[in-house]
Amino acid sequence: MSKKSSAQDRADRAAAALAEQRRKERRRTFLSVTGVVLVMVLILGGGFLAAKLKGGGPSDTAADPGSGTAMTIGQASAPHSVVIYEDFLCPYCGELEKRTKDGLTTAAADGKVQVTYRPFRLLSPDYSQQALEVWVATQHTAGNDVAKKLHDLLYANQPSEQGPFRKQSELVTLAVQAGADQAKVQQAIDSGDATTWADASTKAAQDAGVASTPTVLLDGKELSGRTVDDMATKLLQAVS
Amino acid sequence: MPRYVLPALAVLARLVTGVVWIWAGASKLSDPYAAVLAVRAYQLLPAGIADTVGHLLPSLEIVVGAALVLGVLTRGAAVVSALLFLAFIIGISSAWARGLQIDCGCFGGGGFDPNAASKYPWEIARDAALLLMSVFVVFVRDTGPGLDRLLFRRTAPILNEELS
Repeated sequence: MSKKSSAQDRADRAAAALAEQRRKERRRTFLSVTGVVLVMVLILGGGFLAAKLKGGGPSDTAADPGSGTAMTIGQASAPHSVVIYEDFLCPYCGELEKRTKDGLTTAAADGKVQVTYRPFRLLSPDYSQQALEVWVATQHTAGNDVAKKLHDLLYANQPSEQGPFRKQSELVTLAVQAGADQAKVQQAIDSGDATTWADASTKAAQDAGVASTPTVLLDGKELSGRTVDDMATKLLQAVS
Repeated sequence: MPRYVLPALAVLARLVTGVVWIWAGASKLSDPYAAVLAVRAYQLLPAGIADTVGHLLPSLEIVVGAALVLGVLTRGAAVVSALLFLAFIIGISSAWARGLQIDCGCFGGGGFDPNAASKYPWEIARDAALLLMSVFVVFVRDTGPGLDRLLFRRTAPILNEELS
């Protein structure tokens, strides 16, 4: 128990003090890095939320943001009015379309009803949105009759909700088949106009409180039905 | 080469990339919907993801820019900066290759632009230069003065074996 061991003691104490100091340093570094990262994440989250709240939808300059893009058949003077909100991917919309297309077309031609179709995006951000964009681009560049043909073609060729889905370029081909000008439709899509119009339609449907598809308004009142069959039957009875 | 050259170059690279980021982010901040449309115009991401990216990108750009200018977590910010520039180069090249005529939306704006094709080469060159600067900051030994020096200040003595 001599000089040697007390020197050893001192060295041990010094090493322990150093280790303690380093432990503190690591802890301080860890805390400050965590703090900085936290601040960054907060700024990011705040910016993201602000952007989302401020402008998820079309800007105020969008044309006719109140009502969106629609297509009508029949005269406004007809005794009945029907509004159909639909999504190009929704299977029940396809079903309703199949059962009412001919009946409504005939009734409209006979002056018994005016039908307003209001497609919007409820379901998929991909196919529903792309089909809607091609459709609004067609309605804006080729008019009501071509839009009606494309509308019927889109439902006749409706994919299953699980896919496989046509690409947007193939949907443009359908629009051309309906009678639209490919260059004009493509231009509306590439320029972002189609997106603006499509989003305006979707916003209009949301503003109108439409939360499911198909939503059918018969003379301003929502048509209810247990099944799509039921709805189709009621609708056709009412207008024929 | 004098010892201060590399850190001085690193500071220059940090300032240039950082200021470009802050400028790019700030010019998108006022119109989030335009930022979303600019991302969608590339037709690369599904709409849902494109919207999120459009909403997130402006603040991310400002945070990355501020971190580079102030020198906070400098190397990490430079990694993010390099990845973003790489993504933008891929996006613009892909738009060019697919024949899209869109404004890159780099500093606000976005969407259709009839003169876009003539601007693509210059935009890609600019982003490539900024990418190189970011990569330089990632790998340079001393990134220059910044808040990191406070953040990672050493209080314990450095032992000899650690220096080897």
